[in-house]
Amino acid sequence: MSERTEKRTQVADVDRSLYDFTYSEEGYERYEDGLTPDIVRAISEKKDEPQWMLEMRLAALDTYHAKEMAPNWGPSIAGLDMDHISTYVSPRTKQAKSWDDVPDDIKNTFERLGIPEAERESLAGVGAQYDSEIVYHNMREEVAKDGVVYTTIEDALHDPQWEPVVHEYFGTLIPPADHKFAALHYAVWSGGSFVYVPAGVTVEYPLQSYFRLNAEGAGQFEHTLIIVEEGADLHFIEGCSAPKYYEANLHAGAVELFVKDGARLRYSTIENWSKNMYNLNTKRARVGADAKMEWVSGSFGSHVSYLYPTTILQGARSSCEFSGITFAGATQDLDTGCKVILNGPHTTASVDTKSISKDGGCNTFRSSVVIGRRAEGARATVSCQSLMLDDISRSDTIPAMDVRNATASVGHEATIGRISDDTVLYLMSRGCTEAEARTMVVGGFANPVSKELPLEYAVEMNNLIKLEMEGAIG
Amino acid sequence: MAESTNGAQQDARPTGRMTLERVNTPPAQTWNYLRANDITLTVPVHSRKGDVYFALPRLFEGVECGMGQAVTTWAESQAKDAHYVEVKAGEKRDEPIVAQEDTGVMVRAGAEATIVICTPAGAPTQDTTAALVRIIAERESRVHVLEFVCGGSEQRLDSVGIIAAEDARIDVRQFFLGAGTTAAGLAVALDGNRARLELTCRYLGREQDILDINHVVRQRGRNTRCDVRESGVLDGHAKKSLRATIDLVHGSSGSEGAELENVLILSDDVTNKTMPVILCDEDDVAGNHGASIGSVGPEQIQYLRDRGLSVQEAEELYVRALFDEALICAPTPQSRAAVLARATDVLGSEVANDLVEGLGLGDAEEV
Amino acid sequence: MSNQLLRVSGLSAGTEDKPILHDVSLAVGTGETHVLMGPNGAGKSTLGHVIMGDPAYQVTSGTIEFDGKGVTEDAADKRSLAGIFLSYQAPVEVPGVPLYSYLRTITQKRPELKMTARKFRARVGEIADQLDMGSSFLTRELNVGFSGGEKKKIEMLQLLLLRPKLAILDETDSGLDVDALSVVSRGIEAYRADCDGALLVITHNTRILERLNVDRTHVMVQGHLVAEGPASLIDSIDEHGFEQFEKASAIAGGDQA
Repeated sequence: MSERTEKRTQVADVDRSLYDFTYSEEGYERYEDGLTPDIVRAISEKKDEPQWMLEMRLAALDTYHAKEMAPNWGPSIAGLDMDHISTYVSPRTKQAKSWDDVPDDIKNTFERLGIPEAERESLAGVGAQYDSEIVYHNMREEVAKDGVVYTTIEDALHDPQWEPVVHEYFGTLIPPADHKFAALHYAVWSGGSFVYVPAGVTVEYPLQSYFRLNAEGAGQFEHTLIIVEEGADLHFIEGCSAPKYYEANLHAGAVELFVKDGARLRYSTIENWSKNMYNLNTKRARVGADAKMEWVSGSFGSHVSYLYPTTILQGARSSCEFSGITFAGATQDLDTGCKVILNGPHTTASVDTKSISKDGGCNTFRSSVVIGRRAEGARATVSCQSLMLDDISRSDTIPAMDVRNATASVGHEATIGRISDDTVLYLMSRGCTEAEARTMVVGGFANPVSKELPLEYAVEMNNLIKLEMEGAIG
Repeated sequence: MAESTNGAQQDARPTGRMTLERVNTPPAQTWNYLRANDITLTVPVHSRKGDVYFALPRLFEGVECGMGQAVTTWAESQAKDAHYVEVKAGEKRDEPIVAQEDTGVMVRAGAEATIVICTPAGAPTQDTTAALVRIIAERESRVHVLEFVCGGSEQRLDSVGIIAAEDARIDVRQFFLGAGTTAAGLAVALDGNRARLELTCRYLGREQDILDINHVVRQRGRNTRCDVRESGVLDGHAKKSLRATIDLVHGSSGSEGAELENVLILSDDVTNKTMPVILCDEDDVAGNHGASIGSVGPEQIQYLRDRGLSVQEAEELYVRALFDEALICAPTPQSRAAVLARATDVLGSEVANDLVEGLGLGDAEEV
Repeated sequence: MSNQLLRVSGLSAGTEDKPILHDVSLAVGTGETHVLMGPNGAGKSTLGHVIMGDPAYQVTSGTIEFDGKGVTEDAADKRSLAGIFLSYQAPVEVPGVPLYSYLRTITQKRPELKMTARKFRARVGEIADQLDMGSSFLTRELNVGFSGGEKKKIEMLQLLLLRPKLAILDETDSGLDVDALSVVSRGIEAYRADCDGALLVITHNTRILERLNVDRTHVMVQGHLVAEGPASLIDSIDEHGFEQFEKASAIAGGDQA
């Protein structure tokens, strides 16, 4: 009885243990640390891949070794030693279609993260990745009936109907030579999702993939490939978390999104990697005529992040909305933002980001808006607000704009400041403690982003903020 | 070419060329593929073998200049002389100080001075000219800096550094109106409490002009203020990069920094790059910046049309306005001559004459 | 007929998705002072902007003649050069253009006003004195960072400088303190005296009219001109408000539907 009460309490007050638990990886298949052609071949062989994929992996590995990180910008990744990162760790289990078939420790992980519950209540389909492999994949029948495909890339590669599609799109939007960690990704990628929404189909409920990195000193390199055909509509949610270790972990996923003419794609992310994670993720969308790309992004975790979802507005009148929030606390150096390239005429982009820095955390908002010569009448607005919660933290804003069309217009505004004493005093005069007042203000600051998320995720995000704010006042 | 007002660069000593790699950089950089972080310049190098190097007092080595150390080193090695000017404490100096190639100005406590940096007037007669100007503004001083780049050489480098002590008030007005390549860096350190900077920068880029501007404001003292306004017009195949950084350094509590750029683009062949950066290491501060880039807004166009201007005339008005303002601000015959010569080039002699006459400069002064 | 400066006939206009003006007819003779009154949202400002040629509004039927010529199809700059002036309720800020450069440019555009720059400066100085404006404002950017009252003074300055045949004053009196209001009134009087120009004063406030010799009063309700009369109509509105007309408009609207 008393045990039950205690459990309740634990759910009600969010605490770190929600994310901070680990299970043994005993009996898992774990490849040697470091990066050699042999490891790349081993991964490919295990996945029984087509020859073109192996060739792509090996070429990418060469590119990875040849490329340098830019020396003149960005947070340090000196703590990341690839010789001590295992690029492939797999629980010895087959992908399941029912949670009952998932091994208990893994199932418990996702239970505690609330994934199966969310699936029952509000999702059209769920994929769950544990370390390097997808352990669970399921989609509602009625969605499958509309011709929607939601599977792993590995499975798609073994399906004669989808292998040519993957071959056609895979690695075309984010080429392996894009940057050093894109190359690494292509060399050792494993897991992730393949989503295909046929023309004209609206997927009523979101699809969700949840990524959990359980193993210490490992990397996660999932690849997400989504094709939303003409006039179709999809909301895709991505969640990420990991328990805390002292050894560095690495996440270098790639997300390639193809939004065809007249289609709409919303891509939401709640990322709460543990604070030993190097998050060097690459996301990119190409948007067709009259189509719309929406990004909602909440970044709370990681030790170091380099994250700038990119939107290429290729088709006429296509549009992009980006709402993001980044919360950097102690030991975190988060370099986040976005890139928008407006190529088509009358394209529009609107970027709205918030950042919160506290306890010595370091936030950098970095963006670029490029308007091409043919983008007649293109419009872009960027708004960036940063909140400093103490005087030992740091917040930098580094936007860049490159405009090459006379009829285009770009507006940019950024503000940095702190919670005003007046606001805190006002709330305290109405009975809030100082801590409550500050949490309330921060919640209000984040609200424009959290309101873009489905309810359960907005709740999760607000809990994360509360969690981060705990102890903000001595 | 044989004759030049500024003989130093033209003497018969052996001349080579050197590359100033990736100069005029901001304190925080971004993606290199955007090519917005810096500019690489090829400049002449005259052998100074056997020359005595005249240098400014060592004190000036501590003044950060906008274009960076490599340009400072080059400019020092090329300047024939180093000019040190001191304005005594409490002195209000009316006569503007005209900056030479390498100039250091010490404005003592409570003094006031105007410093003019200006290119030679007229069509380019030289390959490269440069100015390296360092200013130390002691407490409660007032310093006015006026910078005119109006031609005179194919390539112009202006690197300026200012340190402002307690309660010093600095205002800088820059007019980058010249043809060819202009690379200009300005670094202002608001070191003293309550030091203030007002910076306005107006620029014009046409034809094949290249403009590369770097503004760096370090707010270190408590309760400092900086207000940076850039605005300009770009036409033809002009390429412009503007980097504007407000650095709110730890300890600058109570400080406020603001930056705003307005750009008017008149041609699809223009390349306009803007990087407005705020670095913030302090919570009790306010930093904001904004940029608005594009054609004249529909509201403005309608207002101007309601008063009788066609769209093209409205756009021309923006160009004329740059010269009007430059002329109003130009404090010396040389700077007026330089602005006017360029105005004649850009707007034609009729409008240029109108500018002169309208400003009441008129025939009193032969320019 | 020949003394009709402005003739609006059967004018209907609106934005793309919303008709605002319905079958409006109105004529203003040379040198006359007309007042256009009506409750908020009646379409008074829209009429002013449509006469000026604001492309935000589309004319669906009817014509506008000015000085004996049809101008319905003309762009705003052409109408301005023909002698129409619209004083904005909220003058637009034009960053990057100092007032001096602007005034000089719009003056030189008009052959009848062309003058040497020196004379021009003197003339601007004169008007500025008349309007209690200092000279430092000339180097400031057009309307940028000016108070509401100062912006209205800048509108008056342009009115006196350009000497249009017809000035439409759109709520020029709104939001002004007593001092600014008296300066604006002085500006309007000077315009009447020096330029013998016609006036169409759009307002829902009768204070500014006290010092004007009003020839005709028009009342607009819901996009319809519902009444027209002599100056005395203003007193009646002062006393009874617009309600009497609103009923009439409801009937007119009903008829149309």
